[in-house]
Amino acid sequence: MNNEELKAYIESNYASLMTFCESGKYDLWFEVKADNLVRVCQKLKDDPELLIDYFCNLGGVDTTENFEAVYNLASSKKKIRIDLKVVLPHENPSVDSVQTIWPAANWYEREMWELYGIQVNNHDNLTRFLLPDDWDQGYPMRKDWDAPDFIRFPDL
Amino acid sequence: MSDLRTEEYDLNMGPHHPSTHGVCRLLLTMDGERVVKVVPYIGYLHRAIEKICENRSYAMCIPMLDRFEYVTSMSCNQVFSLAAERLAGIEVPERAEYLRVIMLELNRIASHLIFFGTTAMDIGALTPFLYALREREDIIDLFEMTCGQRLTYNYIRIGGVSKDIPEEFTPRCRKTIANITEKVEEYKRLLNGNPIWKMRTIGIGKLDADLALAYGASGPILRASGVDYDLRRDDPYSIYDRFDFNIPIYHNGDVYDRYMIRLDEIQESCKIVGQALDSIVEGPIKAKVSPNFKPPAGETYTRIENSRGEMGVHLVSDGSKKPFRLKARGGSYPHLQLLPEIATNCMIADLVAIFASFDVILPEVDR
Repeated sequence: MNNEELKAYIESNYASLMTFCESGKYDLWFEVKADNLVRVCQKLKDDPELLIDYFCNLGGVDTTENFEAVYNLASSKKKIRIDLKVVLPHENPSVDSVQTIWPAANWYEREMWELYGIQVNNHDNLTRFLLPDDWDQGYPMRKDWDAPDFIRFPDL
Repeated sequence: MSDLRTEEYDLNMGPHHPSTHGVCRLLLTMDGERVVKVVPYIGYLHRAIEKICENRSYAMCIPMLDRFEYVTSMSCNQVFSLAAERLAGIEVPERAEYLRVIMLELNRIASHLIFFGTTAMDIGALTPFLYALREREDIIDLFEMTCGQRLTYNYIRIGGVSKDIPEEFTPRCRKTIANITEKVEEYKRLLNGNPIWKMRTIGIGKLDADLALAYGASGPILRASGVDYDLRRDDPYSIYDRFDFNIPIYHNGDVYDRYMIRLDEIQESCKIVGQALDSIVEGPIKAKVSPNFKPPAGETYTRIENSRGEMGVHLVSDGSKKPFRLKARGGSYPHLQLLPEIATNCMIADLVAIFASFDVILPEVDR
């Protein structure tokens, strides 16, 4: 299945759950509502046409207006790849855990919680691991966070 | 005698244990010599590379990402350049693609040689380490000849590569790969028949295909468990579709298979380098890229096959000179996450063997 076929398939079968984003030209990006995330992921994994069984990556993005949780997924059997994006409000962002579907998501969700302050519901072990245990200086990957000795690189 | 009992105790392995390949701390709960529970603690090498890159121009991110996975920093260069090229729609000249493939595959061989040496050393055989580093030295010399660096290359740039290969590169490279193809047979003779080696590796740390996939294992570890998934073929990038090579698959998913698959991959990579040297074309080595490189706003998740599995970057551009967001994904991160699943209830000496067979590199985990 190439990208056009995949896009057509998703748009006809998942129309109510996923909306196509223009943000990526090379890959296929879809936006998913936070409430539907786990349902969509389970469906993508079980769908015999897609079999999304491989969890590549999860990262947060701080767009300064809101947060995004970005899921990069793939299928090892169908050789396809798809990206999901969940837009979250800047106040109290929270997203459901997908570790029951792909256990690999565990550490990625922990990292997103630690560095972006995005709450992950139903996560089994939300504890610090990249930052020191007694860290109390906020969420370092947010755009409004700068290190104490930070020097902005001059505009060339 | 009935009141005799054993008691579990906690043991700290690392962060400075030589077999943890960097600074990883494993908190083990032990019952005698049996491991009851493993909890990995990471973050000792966290340098916030992703945050630093948000304050650098695109060209300056490449040497920064060299430190992301320093054993195969050609792959780091490649994955970032590829992502930026996809965002900006840059065509890479054909000669540059050939040079990239040659360097990537040589780097893969160098990385697998390090794996071969250190794994054998962790299990208790010192000699292979000396053999492997002797052969790796030839490859490092080739890199030094081309770009002046021996470890962090900054060679693959956005739009091409930084320098053309010198004249003496081709004959020396042919000699090197012929030598390594031959030496891999010697490595196999050295270890495969060794009863101690077989006892320490066969049937140890079994990882089945479903668990490997569920935990996002990739690269040689996934293929040693019988899943036929190689991004060079299944999510093609660069010009890998022009070369004729096999993708070795093993099915037992134990330490022995993870070791064998890498030795086979060295030989396959030698084949690719040989074919690339035969068919390389003349021409420019770099597309015209402005020093004020500004890709249009957009995002991409780009991934390539590294020696440690899938290496990917999620790159977001807002149309300015600096990346808006860069998330680097290394193969070692999920592999370390997987470790407790298969290392529980093994002997502590086997834990070292399993950890070594994953070929985890900690800078890639901590970033």
